Amino acid sequence: MSLADLQPLMLGLILACAALLVLLVDLVIKPSGKPILGWLTAAILAGTLVASWLLPLEGEVQAGVWQGNLWSTFLARVMISAGLLAVLGGLDYVARVWPYRQGEFYTLLLFSLTGMVLLPGCRELAAFVVCFELMGIPIYVLAAYSKNDNGKKPPEAALKLLLIGAASTALTFFGAALLVGMAGSSRFAELVPYEPGPLHAVAALLLLAGMAFKIGVAPFHMWVPDTYEGSPTPVVAFLSVAPKVAGFAALSSIFLIAMPTLAHAWRPMLWLLVVVTMVVGNLVAIPQTNLKRLMAFSGVAQVGYILLGFLGGAEFGAAMMLFYLATYVFANIGMFLIVHAVAEAGEGEDIVSLNGLARRSPWLALALLMFLLSLAGIPFVAGFWAKFYVFTAAWRAGHGEMVLLGALFATVALFYYLGVARAAFVNKSAIEGPVPVKRPLALAIVVCLLGTVGLGAWPNPLVEAALAAVQGLY
Amino acid sequence: MSPLLMAALATLAIPAGMTLLFGVVPMLRRTGKPAAILSILAATTVLGIAGWLFATWLGNPTESLQIATYWLTMGGQPLGQVGVHLDGISVSMLLVVATVAWCVQLFSLGYLSDEPPNGLGRYFTYQSLFLFSMNLLVLAPDLMQLFIGWELVGATSYLLIGFWYPKPAAAKAAIKAFVVTKFADSGLILGLMVLAVASGGFAWDAPITPATAEIVAGLLFVAVMGKSAQFPLHIWLPDAMQGPTPVSALLHAATMVAAGVYLIVRADPIFSAAVHVREFMTYLGAFTALFAAIIATVQTDIKKVLAYSTCSQLGYMISGLGAGSLLGGYFHLTTHAFFKALLFLAAGAVIHAVHSNEFTDMGGLFKKLKFVAIAFIFGSLSLAGVPGLAGFYSKDLILEAVHESGNHFALFALLLTAGLTAFYMTRTVVKTFLGQMSHSAEHAHGPGPSMTLPLLVLLVPTIALGWAAGPFATLFGKPYEFHMGLVGYTAIALGLGGIALGYLVYGLGALAFLPRLFKPVATLANSSVMDELWQSVYEIGGQTPSRAAAWTDRYIVDGLMNFIGWLTIVLGQQLRKLQTGDVQDYLYAVFGAAALLALFGGWR
Repeated sequence: MSLADLQPLMLGLILACAALLVLLVDLVIKPSGKPILGWLTAAILAGTLVASWLLPLEGEVQAGVWQGNLWSTFLARVMISAGLLAVLGGLDYVARVWPYRQGEFYTLLLFSLTGMVLLPGCRELAAFVVCFELMGIPIYVLAAYSKNDNGKKPPEAALKLLLIGAASTALTFFGAALLVGMAGSSRFAELVPYEPGPLHAVAALLLLAGMAFKIGVAPFHMWVPDTYEGSPTPVVAFLSVAPKVAGFAALSSIFLIAMPTLAHAWRPMLWLLVVVTMVVGNLVAIPQTNLKRLMAFSGVAQVGYILLGFLGGAEFGAAMMLFYLATYVFANIGMFLIVHAVAEAGEGEDIVSLNGLARRSPWLALALLMFLLSLAGIPFVAGFWAKFYVFTAAWRAGHGEMVLLGALFATVALFYYLGVARAAFVNKSAIEGPVPVKRPLALAIVVCLLGTVGLGAWPNPLVEAALAAVQGLY
Repeated sequence: MSPLLMAALATLAIPAGMTLLFGVVPMLRRTGKPAAILSILAATTVLGIAGWLFATWLGNPTESLQIATYWLTMGGQPLGQVGVHLDGISVSMLLVVATVAWCVQLFSLGYLSDEPPNGLGRYFTYQSLFLFSMNLLVLAPDLMQLFIGWELVGATSYLLIGFWYPKPAAAKAAIKAFVVTKFADSGLILGLMVLAVASGGFAWDAPITPATAEIVAGLLFVAVMGKSAQFPLHIWLPDAMQGPTPVSALLHAATMVAAGVYLIVRADPIFSAAVHVREFMTYLGAFTALFAAIIATVQTDIKKVLAYSTCSQLGYMISGLGAGSLLGGYFHLTTHAFFKALLFLAAGAVIHAVHSNEFTDMGGLFKKLKFVAIAFIFGSLSLAGVPGLAGFYSKDLILEAVHESGNHFALFALLLTAGLTAFYMTRTVVKTFLGQMSHSAEHAHGPGPSMTLPLLVLLVPTIALGWAAGPFATLFGKPYEFHMGLVGYTAIALGLGGIALGYLVYGLGALAFLPRLFKPVATLANSSVMDELWQSVYEIGGQTPSRAAAWTDRYIVDGLMNFIGWLTIVLGQQLRKLQTGDVQDYLYAVFGAAALLALFGGWR
């Protein structure tokens, strides 16, 4: 094997090298110069994003173990964008709170991204599992990054994440082991026979449970609110989207490529999971008073909608799932970054902390409103098209009842999303003066805002890119 | 495309462009005078085009040109058109509109000289919008576009009546006019729906059965009653005099209120098939004519006299159209447009001079405002039907037609109206221009050239248009032959008698018991009995179902919604308890759910 054969893996390789580079620079740099590490990471991520258009990334590695095509590239771009936005948003916070541990922070983040970026291309279980864990393990550490230094509950949050993550991984591995044992091969294409037996279905559903943990499907979602609440907000901004995108990529590649013949087993279960997820996510979001917990349940509910696209099946449904994920990245990271900005100003992380934001920082409030509208699916911001398209996909696949349910819960969701907007626009606050927002954080919020509004005004290019990307899946 | 059609399109594009320009460039609008001059230049261009088109059609009266495109489709079937339709009727109406609009815009420049620049700009923005809307209505190739223009002129009317909106009376009058005409317009919408369902389109000559024609014509006529101020929907027109006087001249005398008459003329194929509706029109028009004329005799506000007179004359036209005289109704529309605009503008010059609408602040103004007085007197004589002047010829056509139709009630009412009209116009002339000079009249100042020129222009058709009845009729493709019958002579006698009586009573102070006789009429006319009637109709017919709907909405619909909301919140709170915070419970959930999934997989 020559080095040129690794060409399709280039994005992952760049990120892995970058992780090592950051670690190396961290060793030699003076403590006062460490904030440069964040900028270095951001620059590398931006460069990688640009490189994804310039490098030839198509092709197979190791005779089909890994496949580079539009599918893997599209997802890589979404994940790298999420990483970049999270890094920019957290730059000042990381430098201020953990001045001596900045290098490790970015290294861990980059390693996790490496796993994610390589995940969608995997066509073989061993590689798949390695990427999956490379993505997951650094996140356990990142979630625990605060230790106990600000009196909150990070260790508990991280421990919950770790324990439930471990349990889920056990389930995934068990399912994978069953499949490999029965098939004698770990290639996706050979994993499930044309006429599968009952044990195949059991294995498939165990794998589904493992994936469901990663993307936060109810009832595998219980770690989500606790972890979101306890972890540092910039980490949560990353954690709330990037692994989800990867999780959906994994779900698609395993279930659509390897297990189409098992659809009779996993589709009804998936249907049930979507219903439970929508109900739990939307209803439990209503009584929440903490913004990050609210966003956690909102995230659970959103996953229900994204799964609707997946359930819509075929190429269109999968493509609309991709579109939804891309719009979700902007709106969700944007939301968390605003929560972060307000919390940084010392106002706390409750809904009431946003009181009077429209008067204090009108632009920040406007951005907040756009993100909320996008998450709620109001015309004409990006989230509207996302919901519209997944509904269309579900409708075409004959899931009219799910469209009805989704529309119903979209109304319920309006209640809690607009509750947040109400705090910012209607409620008054005793505190005067604008919320201070650091430059890189402001930049990240602006990018999220542009993405949310821009894709709302002109969704077509992304829709077409998503449709093209799905071709790579088959 | 023929240059004629291009020119016709320009009569839409130029005023529309002006409106847009003033709308999007507030800097220009707020300059006031420059905006006004720009608007007047645009109106001048439109006038030139209209004149050219009219001249062309006089040479070739039967020509009909159209450019239109379908913009509305229903179930794949083309429905509504947008474009311009040129024939003798639309071209002549275009000229009427353009002439009066030009005169009024020019007159406004002097009349509103005290207006701040901002207000002046706003005024001319509305004026341009009106010109566009009215032309859109006049040139409509089908009923759908006419409807669009109809609503647009209604909106402009609202804006212009309420032009001095800080004045509560003006704001109220604007709302009243809007609500009343909108209420009537529901008939137009319903009529259009019936027409579209029955014929698959909105064409003037849609093929429909006589029974359908009765329904459609009846519904359309409801809208006409609103727009053309027929009893009992006339109540908005007197109040509309709260707008600036040139606006009253243009919208509420000459053109917009005549749109109802124009609609009937255009949709003649539908109306001529609707025999019963036409009979009703003859009666209602005649009744309105008489009713409004009686009220006009007791008004003390010069604009109110003219407003009721407009109601009365519109009744004339409607009655004539009902009796089947298309030419009579339309010709009276034309002559009335000119002489009533002249009367209103002359009245405007008087009001401008004495700063009041009331007769008590006028009197003896002939000496101060000679030209204005002469113009007003000629307008009055034309309106009174003095032989040789325009109003005489058109009124005579209507009377002959009603006579021929054999409707004795209508004929009697209209003849009586003719006498009353002469009487109240004489009264107005006397009270305004003759007799004792009031205090404010002594300080009156004459109008500037921008106000006298329009009067001069309008004076020409007021006197001479009747002589052109022959060529005018050719535009209709109908022969016209002047002949005087018994009805004509009676009308002349009544008209002259009315003038004589008016002068006797108000000029010479004889027969003093007559004005006292009118007292009860005056009390009744100036009371708000009509308004109260409508109020109770609204309360019984409109508010009762509204209250019922409100009750259903509040207690049943909202109740259901509140219940669902309550249920959602309670469910949320209960589900929340599952989130215990203990990692053991979370793991139970994970493994429990995974076991269920696996069991299901094995079962399948």
